[in-house]
Amino acid sequence: MMNSRTTAYARHAKWRHVIIAIILLFMLISALPNLYSDKVIIHLENNSSQNEQIFPQQINHLLANHNLVADEVKSSSAGTTIILKNKTDQHSVENLLKREYGEYFSFSSSMVSDAPRWLKSLNGKPIKLGLDLSGGVLFVLDVDTERALSDRTKGIASEIKALAREKRIRLTKVKQENNYSIVISYPSSQQNAYKDLSTKIKRSYPELTQKKLGENQITLAYSAQEQVKFRQETMKQTLKTIRGRIEELGITEAVTQKQGKNRIRIELPGVHNPEDARRIIGATASLDFYQLAENSHSAGIIKMTDENGRILKMNSKVVFSGDSIKNARSGQDEMGMPLVNLTLDSVGGKKMSAFSKKNIGKPMVTVFSEFYRNANNETVKKSKVINVATIQQHLGSQFSITNMSSPQAAQDLALLLRAGSLTAPVTIVQQRSIEATLGTDNIDNGIKALTVGISITLFFMAFWYRALGVIANVALASNLVSLLGLMSLLPGAVLTLPGIAGLVLTVGMAVDTNVLIFERIKEELKRGRHVLSAIENGYKSAFSTILDANITTMITGIILYSIGYGAVRGFALTLCLGILTSMFTGVFVSKALTNLTIRENKSQLLGVKL
Amino acid sequence: MNALLLKQTEALSKFRLASFYFASIFTLLALFSLFFKGLNLGLDFTGGYLTEFTTQQSITQNKMEGLLTSFLPDTFQLSSAENGTYWSVQQVDNDRSLKGKTWLTEFSEHSGLTIMPQDAIYIGSQVGDELIDQGGLALLTSVIVILFYLSFRFEWRLAAGSVLALFHDVIIVLGIFSWFELSFDLTILASLLAIIGYSLNDSIIVGDKVREIMKRNKEDKIEAIINLAIKSTIVRTLITSGTTLATILAIWFFAGESLSGFAIALFSGILVGTFSSTAISATVPQLLGLTADYYHKKDEEICQLP
Repeated sequence: MMNSRTTAYARHAKWRHVIIAIILLFMLISALPNLYSDKVIIHLENNSSQNEQIFPQQINHLLANHNLVADEVKSSSAGTTIILKNKTDQHSVENLLKREYGEYFSFSSSMVSDAPRWLKSLNGKPIKLGLDLSGGVLFVLDVDTERALSDRTKGIASEIKALAREKRIRLTKVKQENNYSIVISYPSSQQNAYKDLSTKIKRSYPELTQKKLGENQITLAYSAQEQVKFRQETMKQTLKTIRGRIEELGITEAVTQKQGKNRIRIELPGVHNPEDARRIIGATASLDFYQLAENSHSAGIIKMTDENGRILKMNSKVVFSGDSIKNARSGQDEMGMPLVNLTLDSVGGKKMSAFSKKNIGKPMVTVFSEFYRNANNETVKKSKVINVATIQQHLGSQFSITNMSSPQAAQDLALLLRAGSLTAPVTIVQQRSIEATLGTDNIDNGIKALTVGISITLFFMAFWYRALGVIANVALASNLVSLLGLMSLLPGAVLTLPGIAGLVLTVGMAVDTNVLIFERIKEELKRGRHVLSAIENGYKSAFSTILDANITTMITGIILYSIGYGAVRGFALTLCLGILTSMFTGVFVSKALTNLTIRENKSQLLGVKL
Repeated sequence: MNALLLKQTEALSKFRLASFYFASIFTLLALFSLFFKGLNLGLDFTGGYLTEFTTQQSITQNKMEGLLTSFLPDTFQLSSAENGTYWSVQQVDNDRSLKGKTWLTEFSEHSGLTIMPQDAIYIGSQVGDELIDQGGLALLTSVIVILFYLSFRFEWRLAAGSVLALFHDVIIVLGIFSWFELSFDLTILASLLAIIGYSLNDSIIVGDKVREIMKRNKEDKIEAIINLAIKSTIVRTLITSGTTLATILAIWFFAGESLSGFAIALFSGILVGTFSSTAISATVPQLLGLTADYYHKKDEEICQLP
């Protein structure tokens, strides 16, 4: 009986060891790509055979003149391949080459890791490094608050028209005079009726000041003070939206700042091709939903062509725009077609509910707009109809946009919608790759210091706890490897120098786990238990203490992660992952190692004579 | 208990009470400094002036940093692009650091570099206003959740002790940064979070021991129980804090300027946290009138079942 129980236990333990070994191996492989570095390969292809071949010497000479260094240059009559070690140089080298050889050659570039082939085939990626360690991309966005003000005034003008129509008040003219004012004229017969309308306008738009121009003419205008306020509000909202978008992408250590009066400065870590980043931010897009006009002759109609060349006529009044969207997720309908599920906030929900009730069976148009700068440096709006959907039922605050062209398109749209819509046109005015904000010396010193710190800890543990200390050290090392592996698996995790320090400090937590266990074992041994049962009991009773301590820290970590931003979020992520790995390695890995190495016939353990 | 041991525990009790009052005084001092001096918020929080310029020669970042440090009166953040020819300098917006708006022309005369000014503009903070509100909310929520969890696992008086110790640690570190006018940036904020983790860890381990001893000995006075708990966890506390402090000291001495604020925050935080796990989180439950009855009542309830 006794015998079969011990063999069952042994079999159980063996399985547990196998699982632990598999997990550790998986983490090790995930962490491995961090040992290798990425290289940039720029390929120049000869456009026609008549062009002269470029010789490596020429390129080296050209690069040296501009303080750039290539790792390797290979050349043949078909084209030239340049390998760069320094990723931050990519942009400037490409620009330089384009200027010099752009006429005769076409360019392509790719990023290649120097990891062995088997590792690449597993598709592992190294952790992204933060702005302080490896630089990134800088964007300066211009927010056209003037245009936003003008759009807002235009919107108010059309809403006043609608209001007058509703109240059956005849106005002779409602005209947007300039960016911030509207002129209204009315016939003398409507004097009293207008007074009524005027109070209504005052209540709906308290930011506007009314001024009598003539007998029957009035201007509504934003005062200078209100204009400043409007611009500030717009900037604040835009900044918030852009931060939201970057966060949606999972990049935790980006820097977003307001620059001057109407610019936004964004520094994105871990991205070295500005074009890539530009595509991901999608910062310049906004979204509006329109009703298709029934009567093509009525006032205020926008015409637009969809991708099939059909001309759509829409009421100029927006049903609701992207800023009412609370949540958006991409998904599939019953037929497996991609769609985007939307949830609106209470304001948008009410609007949608009222609108859809009246318009069942009628189409609604989704318009995606993007702003860019043309050659004359003017902001130009490019709008595109992305979807025309029929309203099939009375909709509330939840509904979906169907007819998406692909799952990828649905995902992209959901991302943009989630992060909020921009009220002001935004264009990119500057983009540049930036170098690491900490110099190489600082980074080297930091890494050196951390190595010294870890070594002190490891030496102490081995000295103080002897055999068990060595086991603890193996557990600590596997803790670091597991943490690195986990962070490499997460696409959004970015490592900064303080982040690395935080990583090293999780070693402190792992040390704590081991020390708690060992002190327990010592207590059990002093009470006269045998080695193996002392170890078993020590691990068991220390576990509840460890669990309590770690769960509370985890609670803090999770709350900080869900609410925090930027560096705080990055740190919270490292903290939470560190707790998980230190529990795993401190308890399970070191227990397995102890079981494998410590035998019953010891004469002394942890300084206790047996 | 023999006479010597009794004397020892008495000494420990006295030490604990004395350090509790000490801790209270320090907390008040820190709060005083926070209220009247405030924190010296870094660029991440305040925003400031951004000056961009290009140099004809390519210069390493360290060299440029050295040149600017000897020229500019206050701290600044430097970043470079295009192989050390395009520079951005960010300065805090206060009287001390703004050496007139024309510092760049002076600098180009003194440094002997060919400098072309590009842009000089005011730049906003890295963190939005909403973060400050949300941050406060986050701290409050986490404190409440932790209080609930610990009350559920331990006893409310032990939980209150841990949370008070947590507040004490954070306030003292903030007080140190305020008192010595050290720059408080996002990295320091992150290290405060780490301190919260460590502080809770220490308190819980002492609390856990108190609970265990209370379950075992019914007769002992609470004072003796707490003293025993502290004595039996002291080795663990010293080893954990000691190895962590050693790592932080290594960062402080060898990692240079870039991580020194981080190291100062963590060093003081862990030192204070170790101290408060004895002085506050173990003493407060005693002052609040914790007795061993709590756990025995629970046991009796269970025993009554057939």
